[in-house]
Amino acid sequence: MNLLQYKFSQINFLENLPLLLLLPLLITLSACTTTTVNEYRENPTQLTLAKNEVIVILGRRHAGNYETEPDFIQCIGEKLNKANAITVLPEQTFIDDLYPWFEPRTAPLSLRRLETMLTDPLIGQAIRQHGIRYMIWVDGSTATTDKGGSVSCAIGPGGGGCFGFSTWEKTASYESIIWDINQLDERGRVKVDAKGSSYLIALGAPIPIIAQVQDQACKGIGNQLRSFFYQ
Amino acid sequence: MLRPALLKTCLISTFSFSIFLFSACATHVEISGTFPRPLSKKYPFSATLVLNEDFRNYRFENSEPKELSIAVGSTQVQLFEAVSNSLFQNINISHSIPENPLNDLILVPTVSDVQIAMPYETQLKVFEVWIKYKLELFDQKGELISTWTMPAYGKTPTRFLKSESEALNQATIVALRDAGANLIAGFKNIPEVRAWLTIRAPEATASKS
Repeated sequence: MNLLQYKFSQINFLENLPLLLLLPLLITLSACTTTTVNEYRENPTQLTLAKNEVIVILGRRHAGNYETEPDFIQCIGEKLNKANAITVLPEQTFIDDLYPWFEPRTAPLSLRRLETMLTDPLIGQAIRQHGIRYMIWVDGSTATTDKGGSVSCAIGPGGGGCFGFSTWEKTASYESIIWDINQLDERGRVKVDAKGSSYLIALGAPIPIIAQVQDQACKGIGNQLRSFFYQ
Repeated sequence: MLRPALLKTCLISTFSFSIFLFSACATHVEISGTFPRPLSKKYPFSATLVLNEDFRNYRFENSEPKELSIAVGSTQVQLFEAVSNSLFQNINISHSIPENPLNDLILVPTVSDVQIAMPYETQLKVFEVWIKYKLELFDQKGELISTWTMPAYGKTPTRFLKSESEALNQATIVALRDAGANLIAGFKNIPEVRAWLTIRAPEATASKS
């Protein structure tokens, strides 16, 4: 690097120093989320999983006004699969391979219904072929429960900008149920409620401070479910 | 000095006007998607699936409150072909009801109604699609065994940065998958169909799923 280039970069760095200091702060700035996790176990023993056995996590989608988000199901799968010791079959792969028996219309809502379905040789064989030992059903959603304030943006020949303050509250509520396919029994439940407020402050440029409500709910439910299989 | 400023103003005005036009314009969706091979025990019959031109080119059109058109024709053809192939031993696809049918059954689906609910109408954060099919089943002699209505429903949640077209495509695919599930799971539960099957293939109506 020659002297001229060095001076140029030094000037730029000094000019942008406040921005460079502010940037990591803005990136790491996130609003608080309160998460409550409740768990119920059928018995205190750890759930066993043989090497060739897998878990499938499925979202409930039969309700009319909401549906359990596929990316939330994927997130729980990633949390469970963190140590690579628990194999989680992707939800869509399972639903497609078992089509049409796990669509919102046909999916079993109770263990008794699942038992009946497993007596069908085609369905029973397909589930056995995948090596599914536990089926985890997740029901719930994340919704905006409250919002207020306003932000206005304007653009003109001289430039543009935003001004105002806005806030919104998100609530995530999910319940998961673990079904043991071998025993045809319920092995436990985990319920998570997460709540957080996000803010948008606009003084020229909008600065969002976002509460990671769904992420926190995923972390809460995923870690708790993992504890069913690990101490 | 005036020229660059004028040019900048023109560019900004054009950009703003384009955004306005884009937000106000109509939504046209050509549904595209694939369906998995259904897991179903085949009935020991051959069937002719009649998919007429109206069915093949079906397009839902709506002008109020916003112009919207959804072409479901080619995708629903794909679905009914896949489902019929999994329901019956042999299947023939036809554009009209054959005059001298060779197969045991003739299945004729038609679209009775399509309804769309957008988040700005329902205040719910989901796009919803309802498709109502009318199904007619004839025997080899051309006599009507049964005619029934089969509803299908699909929804998809709204997503940040997800376009309206993409959401409607996804909701329609879910609705079509639901139609397939309804047909496979509910076929033998139609009373007249069940009666016909009980006489000709009692073992086919015995399984519980």
